Amino acid sequence: MTNVAVLNSQTHNALRVHAEASAQYGDNRRFVAVVVNEFSLLVPHYPIFLSKDADTGAFYCGAMLGFDEGENLFLPADGGRDDAYRPLNLQRGPFYTLGSDLAIDLDHSRVDASNIHAQRLFEDNGEPTEYLQSIRALMRELRPGLERTKIFVETLLQHKLVESIDIDVGFDDGSNRQIEGLYVMDQEALRKLPDDVALELFRRGYLQLIYLMIASLKQVSVLAQKKNRRLLNAIDSLNQPRA
Amino acid sequence: MNHVINSVVIVGGGTAGWLTAAIIAARHQGRMKAGFSVTLVESPNVSPIGVGEGTWPTLRATLKKIGISETEFFRHCDSAFKQGAKFARWTTDTPGDAYYHPLMLPQGFTELNLVPHWLGNEHGRTFCDAVCPQGELCELGLSPKMITTPEYQGAANYAYHLDAGKFAPFLQKHCTDKLQVRHILADVLRVNLNERGDISSLTTEQAGEISGNLFVDCTGFSAMLLGKTLGVGFRDCSDILFCDTALAVQVPYDAADTAMASHTISTAQTAGWIWDIGLPTRRGIGHVYSSRHSSEEQAREALLNYIGQQHKNLPVRKIPIRSGHREIFWKNNCVAVGLAAGFLEPLEASAIVLIELSAKLIAEHMPATREIMDIIATRFNDVTHYRWGRIIDFLKLHYVLTKRTDSKFWTDNVDPDTIPDRLKNLLKLWKYQSPWFFDEFDRLEEVFPAASYQYVLYGMGFRTEVDQLDMTATETQANRLINENIAVTKRLIAQLPKNRDLIDKIHQHGMQSI
Repeated sequence: MTNVAVLNSQTHNALRVHAEASAQYGDNRRFVAVVVNEFSLLVPHYPIFLSKDADTGAFYCGAMLGFDEGENLFLPADGGRDDAYRPLNLQRGPFYTLGSDLAIDLDHSRVDASNIHAQRLFEDNGEPTEYLQSIRALMRELRPGLERTKIFVETLLQHKLVESIDIDVGFDDGSNRQIEGLYVMDQEALRKLPDDVALELFRRGYLQLIYLMIASLKQVSVLAQKKNRRLLNAIDSLNQPRA
Repeated sequence: MNHVINSVVIVGGGTAGWLTAAIIAARHQGRMKAGFSVTLVESPNVSPIGVGEGTWPTLRATLKKIGISETEFFRHCDSAFKQGAKFARWTTDTPGDAYYHPLMLPQGFTELNLVPHWLGNEHGRTFCDAVCPQGELCELGLSPKMITTPEYQGAANYAYHLDAGKFAPFLQKHCTDKLQVRHILADVLRVNLNERGDISSLTTEQAGEISGNLFVDCTGFSAMLLGKTLGVGFRDCSDILFCDTALAVQVPYDAADTAMASHTISTAQTAGWIWDIGLPTRRGIGHVYSSRHSSEEQAREALLNYIGQQHKNLPVRKIPIRSGHREIFWKNNCVAVGLAAGFLEPLEASAIVLIELSAKLIAEHMPATREIMDIIATRFNDVTHYRWGRIIDFLKLHYVLTKRTDSKFWTDNVDPDTIPDRLKNLLKLWKYQSPWFFDEFDRLEEVFPAASYQYVLYGMGFRTEVDQLDMTATETQANRLINENIAVTKRLIAQLPKNRDLIDKIHQHGMQSI
């Protein structure tokens, strides 16, 4: 459940938030919605796909983080940190926008007033901390980004540039993963676009986004290698003689 | 001299007329710029009958092919999902007497006939539940797909329930906006014939003379072109199918969110049966009965018992049913589609599917010239006769398997004199072998495939003799298929939303085309 309140320097002065990536705070997701503003930052690490919202069927863009339910391969197995860019929707943690206000879900597992290792939101004098300022900056990216992404996706669908793809990956431990419900650019349809449409997509900056999405697919095999190493490590540790 | 066929005139603007116009116009879109035309002439004064709120899964492919968005179809035609039919009280009239005729084939239907295996060991399940998930999906009120499933695709096979009164105008708009169908509102005063007996033109009250070289009669029961003008007779089959009257009523839901069945419910009565079709805004319910076996008063009473006394003031519409079809369907340059071709009680929702199949046949075999038209007409008549015959047999099958003896209606129905010979022979055959591929239902566009016969036969307790030794070779495969069905059923039950919830979501968000 959520318990969202508009952030206020008096009421929430003592509030602290765990900002770091961690499975216990909800980063254990294999797919997260992303916005077009961050595509260029995502591409060196994550495959970007289209997928459908389970509740509305509407298409959205998302980054793939893992293969199994709840698996985020960018959360290091040893609990350390990964230097990869973290998608805005994970960075935002418990924050929302309500109209033009910044709000916080007080019931989110990241919110914790008593833990001194967590980030403060306000200084004693009520000024926002550097962390809170970074969240405000992030929201200024994310909010218009969602709208831009929605229009981008609608344009792709309108020109029939989207096709479904079934991902089937075999791992060295003999297991397989099949992932359904993902969609990619239809490159055949892209090549056949009429000149005026291609030019329009270029002018709107969409052609670049399209090619970033296509390039990002290379990250599927990088992600698979990451998972493969973890699977093999798990087998190794099982095979080690017990003391 | 060759007389090129490039002008199709459809008379009648009901479901049959508009669906036929759409199918022909979509198929011949490319020829339009070379002068091919489809014209629909409709009387401004005759209101369509609006039969048939149930359809077959074929309608999905048909709508897709004519370029309609499934989302729009749901939003404009009060459409709902149909996953088959549940037949209650048809066998023994005891509480719990019910079986499903689902739209999904039995598991692995193309590899193995599961009937003998089920007969040998029922595993404590009905035939339908042993071989297919759909009966359980219907019982649980689930829809056949999810909001993420693309248009016209399903996790389970499905057809639609729809409001025929909205479907025809919806098709009309699509035909005139997108498919270049010419729409003329005019009353036909006279049908003009040429020297060889072909229809050359129509004289109309409001639009003068309308000429064409292929005429499609979609004028409903009156069969103005094929029957009245060209004199083709009507072949009555009320000696086989006794029901001749329907009392129809529209029943509102208690609340806007009342659960809605995703199947047709057909409940046998003393002298007929009651259909119950769930649309998003109302239930369409009707009592189809034999006036030779029941008075109208008794039939109204039975209907009221079904819908509940609180609905006793709802208007009831009486519709006469004349079971049967034209002696031929295509004569000279005139072909009949829809009620003009014939009608049968709506026990298996055969009306709209027959329109689709006939229109498709006309569209695919559109004669290039008048000179070859008679060859195509002969073929069309053969195929269409076969279809009507098979539908009559299949409807009769529901009656002949009954064990009910509570009224003359039911005992008359099992009288061998009322059973077509072909069906009689099949029933003899099925005592020793169950219908499957090597049966005779092998046409490319069979209206009811062998699977349908399996569901009805074994749903109604028919027994086919089984030789246990004969099955040992395929027992492992059969067990695998039956276990697969259990797994698929479990998965679908976990995934699929409630029927009404999905329809609400389709209205709100729409479905994606991919």
